[in-house]
Amino acid sequence: MVVTGRSVVLALLAVGAVLVSGQISPQVTAAALSVVAALLALDVLLAASPRAMRLTREGDTSVRLGESAALSLVLHNPTRRPLRGRVRDAWPPSAHVEPRSAAPAHVVGGEQRRFGVTLTPTRRGDARAAGVTVRAIGPLGLAGRQRTLSAPWTVRVLPPFHSRRHLPGKLSRLRELEGQHTAMVRGQGSEFDSLRDYVRGDDVRSIDWRATARNDGVVVRTWRPERDRRILIVLDTGRTSAGRVGDTPRLDHSMDASLLLAALAGRAGDRVDFLAYDRRVRAQVRSGGKGSQIQQLVSAMAPLEAALVESDPAGMAGTVMAQGRARKLVVLLTDLNAAALEENLLPRLPTLTSQHLLLVASVRDPAVDAMAEERGSPEALYRAASAERTLADRRRVTVELRRMGAEVVDAGPEHIAPALADAYINLKAQGRL
Amino acid sequence: MSTPDAGWRRVWRSVRIPGAVLVALVVVAVLVSLGDEQFPQGHMEPGSVDPTGGRALVETMREDRDVQVVRSAADAEETLGEIGGDAVLAVFLDHRMEPGEVRALADLEVDTVLVQPTLQTLNEFAPGVDMSGRTESDETLDAACDLPAAEAAGPADVAGEVYEAAPGQAATECYAAAAGSAVVQVEHGDAATTVVGTDHFMTNTELPDEGNAALAMNLMAAEDVVWLRPEPHVPEDSATMAELLPQGLRWAAVPLAAALVLLALWRGRRLGALVPESLPVVVRASETTEGRAGLYHSRRARDRAADALRAGFLDRVSGKLGLRPDDPPETVVSALAARLGEDPARVGALLYPDHPDPYAGDDEALNRLAEELDERSRRLR
Repeated sequence: MVVTGRSVVLALLAVGAVLVSGQISPQVTAAALSVVAALLALDVLLAASPRAMRLTREGDTSVRLGESAALSLVLHNPTRRPLRGRVRDAWPPSAHVEPRSAAPAHVVGGEQRRFGVTLTPTRRGDARAAGVTVRAIGPLGLAGRQRTLSAPWTVRVLPPFHSRRHLPGKLSRLRELEGQHTAMVRGQGSEFDSLRDYVRGDDVRSIDWRATARNDGVVVRTWRPERDRRILIVLDTGRTSAGRVGDTPRLDHSMDASLLLAALAGRAGDRVDFLAYDRRVRAQVRSGGKGSQIQQLVSAMAPLEAALVESDPAGMAGTVMAQGRARKLVVLLTDLNAAALEENLLPRLPTLTSQHLLLVASVRDPAVDAMAEERGSPEALYRAASAERTLADRRRVTVELRRMGAEVVDAGPEHIAPALADAYINLKAQGRL
Repeated sequence: MSTPDAGWRRVWRSVRIPGAVLVALVVVAVLVSLGDEQFPQGHMEPGSVDPTGGRALVETMREDRDVQVVRSAADAEETLGEIGGDAVLAVFLDHRMEPGEVRALADLEVDTVLVQPTLQTLNEFAPGVDMSGRTESDETLDAACDLPAAEAAGPADVAGEVYEAAPGQAATECYAAAAGSAVVQVEHGDAATTVVGTDHFMTNTELPDEGNAALAMNLMAAEDVVWLRPEPHVPEDSATMAELLPQGLRWAAVPLAAALVLLALWRGRRLGALVPESLPVVVRASETTEGRAGLYHSRRARDRAADALRAGFLDRVSGKLGLRPDDPPETVVSALAARLGEDPARVGALLYPDHPDPYAGDDEALNRLAEELDERSRRLR
């Protein structure tokens, strides 16, 4: 049951009536209270039943972080009474639903009305509708009924994929490799692609003399990089991935970089698998076949949150090994944390690198670099020294990883995605995949 | 934490400090209140230690006679009846009594000292004596009469109201002033009634002066003194505040309460429950580094700090000098010295110091080390 401001006014009128009643006050009080109670009860009874309302939703089911999702809520009033009141569509605070206040609703019996809702989520993951509260006020406007109805809907908030802007540039580098570039630069790959007519500018060394002899014109051989290679992106979702670099957790920077890599690899014809791991598998995407699985990947990443546990690189290596014996590029996105990696990952590294090519990518924290430059006070010096110590640890792990045959990409949050893409393109150009 | 023992310990730990404060407050309050006896207050109140109180007189009299303090005319009658024999009734603040009570007391015909009585009381106890005026209250008057009590006491501060007996009436008038006498004694049946125009000389302040104490003691010379200081009458069966309000106003509280309940319901009812959401983890990636900086600072770990700064410097310059990370110190020092044009010994002392490290002596030295390293990195840039 709900009451309105009008009911308060009514009760104050009753106060006035009793004040001027004089000797018959007790009787007037009883009568006034009865009238107020009766009117409120009547209004509650005459209000449309909120429980009878039928709710349906339609609209976006996913949205990129930072963008807005448009939803609509259709309220159908199957009763014969008109629904007067308010409708509130409740979402978690981080979904930033607009309009924020409850919409006034007036739905004639048997009809329906559409309420538009805009979500601009500020957190990645699944935003779930909490329920729709319908408040129906009676014809007198004194009181009414209220009920929260369930109208489930989930909007999956996807990683923003800011590094998309690097995609055209990296794709054109990739096309250079494939010999499809507009400048017709010969492909650098090692796999034979096709024969085509010679055009001026082609490297004379690429002329296929045997084919030329069989044809009218001069024919050149084109090369292309290997295709159908397998890439496994492993995302460390452990404790260290929760740390914020700038305003964003390290995990989100890693996701951004993995998405660019996956998009690029998908275009290059490689197959991308995905694994999120801390002490157990948090998410996994297996490539069904050729082509881009970027949608699957994005959707698998969306609900991932950093788990506040120490990662288990040994278990991670085991899981990777269990994925199959076929050689693949394993891209591990983690923090170059000396303690964790040296103890757990390095001992397992030889088995891993003997079968696969390992690429470790890590987001470097510019705050630590800035700390290393601090001078001026004893405190600043200690901070600088501590930062130097962190950087030295990272260098040590990097050197160790490289010595054991792994590739390491260590770049700031702005550059990690293009740097990882470049590393991939370079590996491809060298035919090391 | 889950064991009951730990739970109790947690409760005890959270309760013990507020509990200790409470106990301390109680102890302090008790100690403070120990020296703080509460005395009754009021004009000529027998227990009062105020300047105008009567405690001094009462306590003095109690050394050789019984003083009974009564608070109403009825009690006075009863007490006097019980004593029966040699008693003096001292009446203060008689205006608080009703006429009937005064008459009843007068009819007892016991020795009475009336202190600054009303005219009505005067009429009942000492008919014929009338108030004839006032004298300045700081005057000291001489006894000048043959009333033994006054004669023995001598001069006293009895200036106040003065009285005159009717002509021809047998009365002893003492402490004469311009308009009359301050102390008048008349016969009243078998007893004597003494009228005193002021209680000033009996107060705690004035009692030691002149013959005040003697006069007061002498006037109330008997085995028993009944000290009557009536309490004001409390009117019975009077209407309370609520009964005086109009009936409508009282009954209006009922619908007003209903209105307040409705108001609370109207403003307080939420449109659906709050939606909970778990908070995100907010921790800077550089947290551990900053924590270690704090440790270095708090422990003054200058040796470690110096090593870290040197390692950072070597990493920055070794690429430029074509050095490998595993080159021996001699190679590094000679390459660096050659490039900087400096004495190898000096560079060596900077980068690979003896023990103890001269740059880890104090913060000043550490700062010098940082400056020297920075200066060399700039030159190599």
